[in-house]
Amino acid sequence: MRSGRRVVITGMGSVSAAGAGGTPAVADALARRPATIAPVAAFELDGCASHLAAEVDEARFMALLDPDSVRRLSRICRMTLAACRTAVQEAGLGGGTRLGLVVGSEHGDFRSGGEFVDGFLRRGPAGLSPLTFPSTVMNSMAAVAGIAIDAKATSVTLNQETVAGDLAVARAVALITDGRAEAVIAGGVDELFSHVYRNLARLGALSPMGGGAPEGCRPYATDHNGPVLGEGATFVVLEEREAAHARGAAILAEILGAAWGAIPVAPHTAPARRRDARAIARRALDQAGIGAGSLARCYGSGNGDPALDDWELRLLEADGVRDPVSLAPLFGQHGGLGALRVAAAALDARAGSAPALVHGIARGGCRTALVIGQAA
Amino acid sequence: MTQKEVLDELKALIVERLKFDPSRAAEMTLETTLPRGVEGSLGLDSLDFIELSVAMEERFGIVIDEAESLADDFLSLDTLSRFVLSKVK
Amino acid sequence: MTRVAVSGLGVVSPYGAGVKTFWAGLSTGECAIRPLTVIDTEGFRSRIAAEVPADVIGGLGVSRRRSRADRLALAAAREALADADLSPRDRTDMALIVGAVGGGMLEGEAWYWDEALHPGPSPKIGALRSILPASHSEVIGWRLGLGGPRETVVMACASGAASIAFGADLIRSGATPLALAGGVDAITRICFMGFNALKLLDPEPCRPFDRGRRGMSIGEAAAFLVLEDAEHCRRRGGRSLGEVLGAGVTTDAHHVTAPHPEGEGMIRAMREALAAAGREPGDVGYVNAHGTGTLQNDRVEALAMARVFGEGRVLVSSTKSLVGHTMAAAGSVEAAATLLSLQHGLIPPTANLRDPDPDVPFDCVAQTARSVEVEAALSNSFGFGGQNVSLIFGR
Repeated sequence: MRSGRRVVITGMGSVSAAGAGGTPAVADALARRPATIAPVAAFELDGCASHLAAEVDEARFMALLDPDSVRRLSRICRMTLAACRTAVQEAGLGGGTRLGLVVGSEHGDFRSGGEFVDGFLRRGPAGLSPLTFPSTVMNSMAAVAGIAIDAKATSVTLNQETVAGDLAVARAVALITDGRAEAVIAGGVDELFSHVYRNLARLGALSPMGGGAPEGCRPYATDHNGPVLGEGATFVVLEEREAAHARGAAILAEILGAAWGAIPVAPHTAPARRRDARAIARRALDQAGIGAGSLARCYGSGNGDPALDDWELRLLEADGVRDPVSLAPLFGQHGGLGALRVAAAALDARAGSAPALVHGIARGGCRTALVIGQAA
Repeated sequence: MTQKEVLDELKALIVERLKFDPSRAAEMTLETTLPRGVEGSLGLDSLDFIELSVAMEERFGIVIDEAESLADDFLSLDTLSRFVLSKVK
Repeated sequence: MTRVAVSGLGVVSPYGAGVKTFWAGLSTGECAIRPLTVIDTEGFRSRIAAEVPADVIGGLGVSRRRSRADRLALAAAREALADADLSPRDRTDMALIVGAVGGGMLEGEAWYWDEALHPGPSPKIGALRSILPASHSEVIGWRLGLGGPRETVVMACASGAASIAFGADLIRSGATPLALAGGVDAITRICFMGFNALKLLDPEPCRPFDRGRRGMSIGEAAAFLVLEDAEHCRRRGGRSLGEVLGAGVTTDAHHVTAPHPEGEGMIRAMREALAAAGREPGDVGYVNAHGTGTLQNDRVEALAMARVFGEGRVLVSSTKSLVGHTMAAAGSVEAAATLLSLQHGLIPPTANLRDPDPDVPFDCVAQTARSVEVEAALSNSFGFGGQNVSLIFGR
């Protein structure tokens, strides 16, 4: 990195369909690969073409929280809080003016937004709940978590389809290398909400998107036919390397390269023939000082969306990277997925693996590339 | 209205609008203190008080002027129920 | 050390389209806060806002099929890029950072209301494709061919300012020589209803720093800045409208809506900006305040400014008194106002300020613009959730 500051990963916290907790819970989920995708239990989906999702067990994340202190927090805020608190506790990190927070999300808190306007639609102005209104702005999750972990440096909320978690980590790396924070909790969160699920299905954005294949999450496969939604919150702890050493933190991995950019295509499209003029993945590899051939693996953002899968494969091929691995079948597509891929790469590094590329591309062209390897 | 009736309504509002667990209502009495920072209180903050004020205005048909200093009235369920009674009259 | 120039500016404001129209309104102190027409306001205590007039929206040259917010954003972004006079190759590397909150929610609400009030699915469902805040970056990035780092920052009222801070960071770190940074927000029912429900809106046009102030006024707008490595700008013969000297981005981590009562995070943001700019408080001649007109914000912000600059040591004014609180656009609209103030040597007034609050120890340039040459000016944006951004601009 240009500033000379290096960034390491010193902990994590995760709430997902595969479990909840810090590094041991994430490692366990990745090792055991429990079956997480199943018919949605939390709400009715009559008349909907899609029925599957990777749902979070409420009890798992409530166990990480004090019920009294989360009384008025929305569900998505609770998940965010559980994951962030777990992450800082695991890393043994104190709060203050040098701790930042970056939260990525695809859909934010539409549940609270719906609740708020439903009050008006039912009873007019008198039906509006002032308490609910702050939750209707997408930065409410960061606001709530920031108070709990005392993150007084820069805190940012990013909105982006598909790669919100990847972007959050890239932004967090920049905050550290630019000197805006010494440590940053970075990741993403989304929850399953009936209106969002139903309407994404109505708009043809979920599996089954067409053809005869059954509904399911089959990234990069020839019979892929759309993403399956998941939910959860996953955050990794990023720290400036010298500061981490100085406080004796347990270092899992280092972020050797981070680049992001965009391929300017029409919104919601994923045109397989469009190239990336700035070769984002190559940039990240160059920063890391390695070639594509030295990678142990690539964690791709492909989630079964056929156009997106295909585009990603071609973009990676152009940068000399092949056979990406997807974690979407384990966790479902949601804002935390990018952070889960970063977490997986960090765990690989801890186990002594060669560096991994965490790659992301979204419809509309937002592209990210992170190279994660062993801390020197 | 009697103070007991007002108290019961306030407890219902606190559960419904401030998202307290219904089981907490049984523990609430006139002596229950409200504001955060008071030992043993329900821990309500400014946002809770705005919500409660709006709910009270609607439930009791009163007007609460936010320009008034209401800190003393919102100290406990006793002071709050007396406040409501004074407005209803 | 890399210096960050502003080489282009674009604004769509309640005064109309374009930077010239914006400055004309600000410099004459015209208050653009009027009865709202784009949504139904029946039954609400405050029924006014600074709305972009319908004929202005129609004249922006952006398809009516796009959401209102997308139209505002694209028009302002186009003006900024045209102003900077860049080559297509420059656009490939150009970052795009958009501050946004409401996204296409106005059209999304119309669909939701439709389905709530009438049986059967509503044909307006297409609105959902542009409902998210990230929609603006997709449309702008595509239409203007921008290939650099792309981000949508959702930081409530500080979004538009944060985008400028992060855009400048990208240039200083060498990630890119160019960034288009700004913010946008259109009127939405949810925002209007929410601030009404919190009793934070004045039924009359807001009166920041006035003893009798009673709350905010909502507005809508879009503003974008072209930020550029100053050396890169000089080499290509580009024109500089001013410089981003430094930025502070901090968090109160205190309460989800109320600011820290002593402005702790605000003070840190201003001091960080000064430190980043390598300037002393005495070097700053003007503060474009967050100045919403709520009892709380103005009191705490005045306290914070007094701690940083000393009582009466800077001129202060609130752009929100003129064009309302434009939400995610506010930080970038007010950055534009601050740059124009430096450029023209004229400080726009705080409108509706008739009885200055004695607890605000500053000259808030009441009602009439003031001719003052200033070398450096600071712009504050403090959002819900304790998000604080302070930007320092130089000539």
